[in-house]
Amino acid sequence: MFKLDLYKLITTSVALVLSSTLLYGGSDTSTLPGKYISKMGAVDGGVIYPRKNGTYAAYRYNEQSTKGVNFGRIPTANELKAWDVDIMPDGTGLPEGEGSVSDGDELYEKQCASCHGEFGAGGHGYPTLTGGNQEKLPNGVIKTLTNQRIEPGMEAPKRTIGTYWPKATTLIWYIRDAMPYAHPKSLTNNDIYAITAYLLAQDNIVIDGKKMDSEYVLNKEKLMKIKMPNENGFYPNIDGPDGVENVRKFFSDRAKNIGAGTRCMKDCKDLSATGKEPTIMKIDNEITDVVPPYTTVRDLPPEVENKLVSKAEKMYNDACKLCHSSDKMGAPVIGDIEAWNKVTQKGFDKVVHNAIDGVGGMPPKGGFENFTNSEVQMIVEFMIDSSKKKH
Amino acid sequence: MDKISKIEELNSLSRRDFFKKTASVSAVAAAAILSPSSLFADDENIVHHTQWGTTLGNELNENPYGLPSKYEHNVVRRTSSLMSSAGDMHAAVSMTPLHELKGIITPNGLHFTRTHNGIAQIDPNKYRLMIHGLVDKPIVLTLEQLKRYPSESRIHFLECPSNGAGEWKGPQFNSLQFLKGMMSASEWTGVRLKTILDELGLKPTAKWMLAEGSDGSEMGRSVPVEKVLDDAMIVWGQNGEALRPEQGYPVRLLLPGWEANLCVKWLKRLEFSDKPWYAKEETSKYTALTASGRAIQHFYALEVNSVITSPCPERPWSDLIGGELVEIEGLAWSGHGTITNVDISLDGGKNWVEAKLKGLVLPKSWTRFSYMHKYVKEPLLLQSRAVDDSKNVQPTVNQEKAVMGVEGVYHRNSICTWEVTLKGEVNNVQVRSI
Ligand code: HEC
Ligand code: HEC
Repeated sequence: MFKLDLYKLITTSVALVLSSTLLYGGSDTSTLPGKYISKMGAVDGGVIYPRKNGTYAAYRYNEQSTKGVNFGRIPTANELKAWDVDIMPDGTGLPEGEGSVSDGDELYEKQCASCHGEFGAGGHGYPTLTGGNQEKLPNGVIKTLTNQRIEPGMEAPKRTIGTYWPKATTLIWYIRDAMPYAHPKSLTNNDIYAITAYLLAQDNIVIDGKKMDSEYVLNKEKLMKIKMPNENGFYPNIDGPDGVENVRKFFSDRAKNIGAGTRCMKDCKDLSATGKEPTIMKIDNEITDVVPPYTTVRDLPPEVENKLVSKAEKMYNDACKLCHSSDKMGAPVIGDIEAWNKVTQKGFDKVVHNAIDGVGGMPPKGGFENFTNSEVQMIVEFMIDSSKKKH
Repeated sequence: MDKISKIEELNSLSRRDFFKKTASVSAVAAAAILSPSSLFADDENIVHHTQWGTTLGNELNENPYGLPSKYEHNVVRRTSSLMSSAGDMHAAVSMTPLHELKGIITPNGLHFTRTHNGIAQIDPNKYRLMIHGLVDKPIVLTLEQLKRYPSESRIHFLECPSNGAGEWKGPQFNSLQFLKGMMSASEWTGVRLKTILDELGLKPTAKWMLAEGSDGSEMGRSVPVEKVLDDAMIVWGQNGEALRPEQGYPVRLLLPGWEANLCVKWLKRLEFSDKPWYAKEETSKYTALTASGRAIQHFYALEVNSVITSPCPERPWSDLIGGELVEIEGLAWSGHGTITNVDISLDGGKNWVEAKLKGLVLPKSWTRFSYMHKYVKEPLLLQSRAVDDSKNVQPTVNQEKAVMGVEGVYHRNSICTWEVTLKGEVNNVQVRSI
C-alpha cells in the first residue's frame, strides 16, 4: 500500500550500515530526527536498536567493559525458601495442606464475602469471582465470551474463575499472596485450599470426573488434576519450547492479529468490517464523577483548616474507611447523617458492642483484632461525631 | 463539504498574500507600536506597582523541597470511582493532567498511578532484591549495592494498557485527562538488567523471567528473556530524584514500551525459568478478549498512538475570535519503536496533512508534534494519526474494532477525535460505524 519514501531511505541505509563496517552515524539517517539504526523482528513485533560504537539510538552509552562489576552476595538456602514461593501451572511451588469446601464456605463468609458477595457472585462493586455460563460452542470456545456489547441491552461477556481463568494454580497463588485485601498473606495453607475448593465448587469444577460436594477436601495432588473450562481460551500459545517464537510470529502480523491503520492521505474511506459508513458518535451519558473536579483555573487554593488528625481518625482511616466510605457493602457511610441517626437509635452501647463483636457484613472490630475495645469505642465516637449535622 | 481544502486554500492564500491583504492592518499595527494606543482601556496590572514587586518575597529555602506555585493547585492527578473497585482507592488508577503538560517529561508528582493493593511504603534500608533461578550465580542485593552498578538514564513513557479502556463502546469522558491520562513519561535511571545478568551467567535454557513486587498484591508477571537482554532496566531514579512511592520506590522494573503493569513496582524478585508463570495479572486480567471469544495473552508493547493535547476539552478554542494562527499540538508515542510521522485531519479522517515533529524524537518515548492552523470559526473534527519505524500506522476506530471487537479492555490505540464546535468548544467524539 502507501509507502513513504522515508521508509525506503531508512531500510536502505540500515542495510548499508549492517552490511558494511561503516561507523554508525555515517549514513543519511543521522540527519533525520528520530531515525535510528534499527532492525525488525523483536518478540513484540517492534524494532531493536543495536548498541554499537558507543551509540544506542539517540543515546551515547558507556562502552567500557562492565565485566567484573559484581555486588551483592549469594542468597542463603533459607532466604531462597522464604522468597522463592511462586506457583507454576506444573505444580511447582504448590504448598502442602488441605481444606474442605465446607470449611472454605465458612472462611469465605467471614473473610471475603463482604467484598466479593455471597458465593463469590459479586454485587458490592468488587470483582465478581464466580458464576457465568460455561456452555461451549462447537469450536470449544465459551459461548458467552463471544458477547460483544455493540448495541445497547447486549450482555457483557462474564469473566470469572469458571468462565475465564486458564489455570487453577493461579488462584492458590493469588489468594495466598494478595487476599484478603486488607490483610494479605494472613491465610494458612489449609485455609487457602479450603477457600479455593469453595470457589471452584461454586463454578462446578470437576476433579476426577466428579463435581466437588461440600465434604470434598482439596489438596495439591487433586488441584493438579483440574482442567479449567477456559484453559484453551488464550492465544498465542506461550507454552513449550516454541512459546516465545509463537509470540513473535503472532506480533509480526499485527494488521491481522491486533489491527493496524493505513496511511491514506486524501478522500479516505473508513468503512466498518460489514461495509457501513462511519458516523459521529457523541458522548451519551458523560461521566462526571471526577475527583478532584475538573478545572484549569489559576487562583489561590481554598484555605484549609490546619486541623490535627486525631488518633481515632487515623485508626478509622487505616481500619474502617475501606468499607465505611461508600454504601457499596451496606455499611453506614461516614458523614451520612440519616444512616447514622438510624444506627445510633439503637443506643450507643449497643452500637459499640456491634462494632466490637461484628454484625451483618461488619466483621468484629473491622477485622483488626488487635484493637482494644476502648480503641474501637473511640473510633465509633469519631464516626458518629463526623456524621452529625454541622452547626 | 470539502472543508480541508478550503482551509488549506485559506492558509496558503493568507501566506502568499500576507503583505498585500494585511497592508492596512499592519499599518495600524505599526502605528500602534510607535505611538501608544488610545483604543484600549488601561490594564491595571500594568499601571500599578505589582503587589509582589513592593514587598519582600519569601525566604529562599522556605521549602527545602520545592513546591509548585500555589496558583497551580488545580494541576493535579484526577481519578474517578469508576476506575476502582467499589470506589475503593487502594486498587484504582489516577490520571495525569496531560492538558497541563509541556514537552516530553511528566513531573513526578503528576505521574499517573495504578495500584492493586495501595501504595507500599518501603524502608530502603530493609529493601532487598533477589535474582535467581536459571543463573549460575544467584544474588541478593541491598539498595546501596544495586546502585553501585554502572547506571544508564533513558527517557521512556509508561502507559497502562487500560488507557482509554472506557471508550471501546463509545466516548465516555469529555476530557483529555481521562481519555488518555493513564500514561506519563520520565527520564529513568538505573542499571541495564543485562549488565547484572552478564555476571550471573544466565543459563541457555532460561526463556522467561518472573518479575515480582513486594507490595500487598505481590504483583507478578512473566517476561521473555529476549526483552530482558535487550533494553530492560532496573530503575531507582525518576527525573533526577528517587522513584516516588507511587512509582515503586525504591526500585521498579522498566521494560521500555511495554505495558506499565509489566514494569513491576516495589520490585523484590527476578526468577529465570524455561516456562511462563500464569500470574493473576496475565490471565484473569491484562489479557484481551476478542470477538472470537478467545483472548490474547501476553500482550506486551503499547502500539503506535497519538492524541492532540491542544486544543482539547480542557483547553478549548472558545476564546479565539477567528483569523488567529494557532498551533495544533499533541503527543505521539509507540512502544514498538520511534515515531516517524504524524498526520492531522481537520475533517474527521477524510483528508490528512502531515504535521511536524518537534523536540527530542526518541525511541519508546513521547514525541511532540505540531501543526500551524489558521483558525476560522467553524466546526471541525480534529484527528491525529501516528506512524512509527516498525511500520505501524495508528488505526481508525473501525479498523481496530474489526480485529479486536469492543470487549478487550486493553491496548486501545485507535485515532481520537476532537469535535470543535462553532463556538470553539472541544468535545470528545468518535468517528465510527455503529
Ligand atoms: C475489602 C475488600 C476485599 C476483601 C475482603 C477480599 N477481596 Fe479479593 N479483591 C478485592 C479487590 C479490590 C480485588 C482487585 C485487586 C486488583 O485490582 O488487582 C480483589 C481481587 C480478588 C481476586 C481476583 C479477581 C479477578 O477477577 O481477577 C480473587 C480471586 C480474590 N480477590 C479472592 C478473595 C478471597 C478468597 C478473599 C477472602 C480470603 C478476598 N478476595 C477478600 C477486594 C477484596
Ligand atoms: C469489611 C467491611 C467493613 C470494615 C472494614 C468495617 N466495617 Fe463497620 N460495618 C460494615 C457493614 C457492612 C456494616 C453494616 C452492618 C449491618 O448493619 O448489617 C457496618 C456497620 C458498622 C457500625 C454500625 C453498627 C450498628 O449497630 O448498626 C459501626 C459502629 C461500625 N460498622 C464501626 C466500624 C469500625 C469502628 C470499623 C473499623 C475498626 C469498621 N466498622 C470497619 C462493614 C465494615
